[in-house]
Amino acid sequence: MRLNTPESVLRVNRRALIAALLAAVLCLVAVNLPIWEFSATVFAKKSGNTFVGDEKYQAVKAEVEAAAAAYAAENGGDPRIVENVTERTNSKGQKTSMVAFEVRQTMRRTGWDFVRSGLAAGKVLLAMVLCMLAAAVLLCEGLLGAMDTNWPELMPRKRGLRLAAAALGLAALLLVPVFMMNCNLAFSRWIRLATDGFPRPGTDALLHTLDGFLYGGTAGEKTLELMAGVQHRALWPLLAAMPLLAAFALCAVVCADGDPRHTLARVLLFAFIIVLCVVILYPYYVMVITGFRSNAETTDMYFQHMFPTKWVWSNLKDIIDRGVPRYLLNSLMLSVGATAIALLCGIPAAYAMARMHFPGRKAFLGFVIMSQMFSPVVLLVGISRLMNALHLSDSVLGLMFINAAFNQAFAIWLLRGTFVSISSEMEQAACIDGCSTVSALLRVLVPISAPGIVTTLIFVFINAWNEYTISTVLISTASNKPITVGITQFSSFNMIEWQYLFAAALLATVPVVILFMCIEKHLAAGLTAGGVKG
Amino acid sequence: MNTIPIRHKWEPYVWLLPSILLMAIFVVFPIGIVFKLSLSEISKAGIVGGWNNFENFRAAVRDPAFGTVMLNTAVWVVSVVGLSTLLGFITAMALNVKFHGRRIARSIVVFPWATSLVIQASVWNYIIKGEYGNLNNVLLNLGIIKSAVNWRATYQIEFAWECGVGIFVTIPFVAFTVLAGLQSIDKAYYEAATVDGAGFWRKLWNVTLPLVKPSLTVCTVLNIIYVFNSFPIIYTITKGAPANKTDTMVTLLYMRAFYDNQKGAATAMSVIGFAILCVCAGAYMMVTMRKEEQ
Repeated sequence: MRLNTPESVLRVNRRALIAALLAAVLCLVAVNLPIWEFSATVFAKKSGNTFVGDEKYQAVKAEVEAAAAAYAAENGGDPRIVENVTERTNSKGQKTSMVAFEVRQTMRRTGWDFVRSGLAAGKVLLAMVLCMLAAAVLLCEGLLGAMDTNWPELMPRKRGLRLAAAALGLAALLLVPVFMMNCNLAFSRWIRLATDGFPRPGTDALLHTLDGFLYGGTAGEKTLELMAGVQHRALWPLLAAMPLLAAFALCAVVCADGDPRHTLARVLLFAFIIVLCVVILYPYYVMVITGFRSNAETTDMYFQHMFPTKWVWSNLKDIIDRGVPRYLLNSLMLSVGATAIALLCGIPAAYAMARMHFPGRKAFLGFVIMSQMFSPVVLLVGISRLMNALHLSDSVLGLMFINAAFNQAFAIWLLRGTFVSISSEMEQAACIDGCSTVSALLRVLVPISAPGIVTTLIFVFINAWNEYTISTVLISTASNKPITVGITQFSSFNMIEWQYLFAAALLATVPVVILFMCIEKHLAAGLTAGGVKG
Repeated sequence: MNTIPIRHKWEPYVWLLPSILLMAIFVVFPIGIVFKLSLSEISKAGIVGGWNNFENFRAAVRDPAFGTVMLNTAVWVVSVVGLSTLLGFITAMALNVKFHGRRIARSIVVFPWATSLVIQASVWNYIIKGEYGNLNNVLLNLGIIKSAVNWRATYQIEFAWECGVGIFVTIPFVAFTVLAGLQSIDKAYYEAATVDGAGFWRKLWNVTLPLVKPSLTVCTVLNIIYVFNSFPIIYTITKGAPANKTDTMVTLLYMRAFYDNQKGAATAMSVIGFAILCVCAGAYMMVTMRKEEQ
């Protein structure tokens, strides 16, 4: 229900405007407070083979204190001296200790320091502040003279202004995490990479900027060394800016739309959907980028890119050489065979269940549901013995039958749901005309219920294609393995060839995902129809 | 009634025959074998002896890992079924609202359902690898974390990851079953509720929930069965390591049957697992049915 009376709109608009301006002002204040804290070592000295308080210790301590004083004289601030004592036994068996002195300097930098420093994070911050200011101006302009009017009667131009304000507020909100991420990159990740010998391009310029930003240009060559030990964290004003900005963006959206509940619900809906989709797609992204990387890149902990530096298409060729086409062919045969058997047995059974009354009908339904309780995994011992007795183990044919049998319940269930939902008038007419029940099924019911049958077909196909457990127990010959078992050859205990594993996984996944997307619309309906009316 | 005339009394049974034969041979027969093996003595070489006075069941219960594994199984089933039902329900509610890009969102949500569990589990296994796993790589490169995190520091955390993957792959099934239920609800109920001044939560509680309950019941029962019997996730990510601490019943019985050659204990575990499953699914169905009657 939308709030559309002039009074309520007036009230909402007024509240939202006040809240938005308050949030904007507070954000600007927050940016002026110290937002990032660094705890850096400006001088370090170790004293080994010593005791706390002895001569050597005193000498080193004096040296450290002098260094701290010199630092304070030069840069100001309040350096602290930290002692770290480690007890150890030396080669002669005496107990000594090793004392590590550090002169630590806690530095706080405000938002304006960041903006002036020339760091990328500073530019992000500047963009954020500009967004906020522009949003506040647009919001005031958009609401000017509109406070007493019902919102649908407002000039469209003004509504556009308020929407723009909302968008800018949202952009400012999203820039906060970008800023924090950028700080983490500049102060930790890139420094770590440079220290470990994998500098990324532009590290020298970054170090120069950091020198100016933190050490007032005094560190020079030693910046990298100093930065390696820096600990840093965001301070509360920055963290407080996030909820404030969120409140601002929300207020602006409310002013633009006029119905806070509706707006909030919409925002939450989209946030949820976006997060869900990102999480769901993430493993597929990993599969794609890893499948086409070189082996060195898949296991490189210093890898700096979100995508392969070079797409290695030869991975595909390598897996083809290692038998993947054979596995895919086996999977295809297995799934087609299983689907055919399951449908040949399932369609008549579902037909009888949907169209005929006979004693034992309920019992059969109960039996079908009970058979769902037993997964092949629990019955593996029994299945493998049975297959041995039938001489079907280690063959694709055996897998076909097992998959068909364990999908039978689902097939009957789905098909019965489809058949029940179709009126039997036409078949009755056909029967009266002298048609047998067989031709009533084949000529009348099957063509009408084709969508339901195709859904069942694809569902069984996919289940058989994705089946892993039975195959891994029953199949031992390499040339009989389906793809789900075949890809495990790329992951042995001591060495996993991730790039081959995922390239093969992609080949196994893509066709099935496409098939599933085709039946997505009908599948769920079939599932419930079959289940509820049972 | 939606029926057609039958010529002979035995005709329906002929229609059922192929299906019954298929399931009798490949489902009922193995069940029989498992039950029989669980009560018989099995030598190391696999030769089946006679009745051994429930010795297999005693061996199964005495198994050093049995207690941990039962607890793990309970945690696994309750957390995966519970959370995936909750999240799947929310997803279904979200996908039931009209918005731009809904078709794309639905297609994306169906992805995990269509992917083989081994493949999903392998990908997540790579994602959370300690040194070079993709999660660390992505988070470091985006600057979200400052230094690499060990995502599988203890076996409890690893088990939690496994439960997470289980939830992840189960959500689409719940979402689509509930979605089907939601779409079959007549809009008139909501209009009537709105006229009566009911808000979102009241409508959810008094209209939506009672009407999707049948689909929710079916999908929860099926989920309990599937999740209890789920094997590839745990087998791929940890293989039950360290020392069966992350095993569930199904992976343990697989290990006992095919690695440790204790087929007797394994079949006994199968029977125990089946009994538990029957009790749980049956109890769940009974409770929901009784509530419906009231």
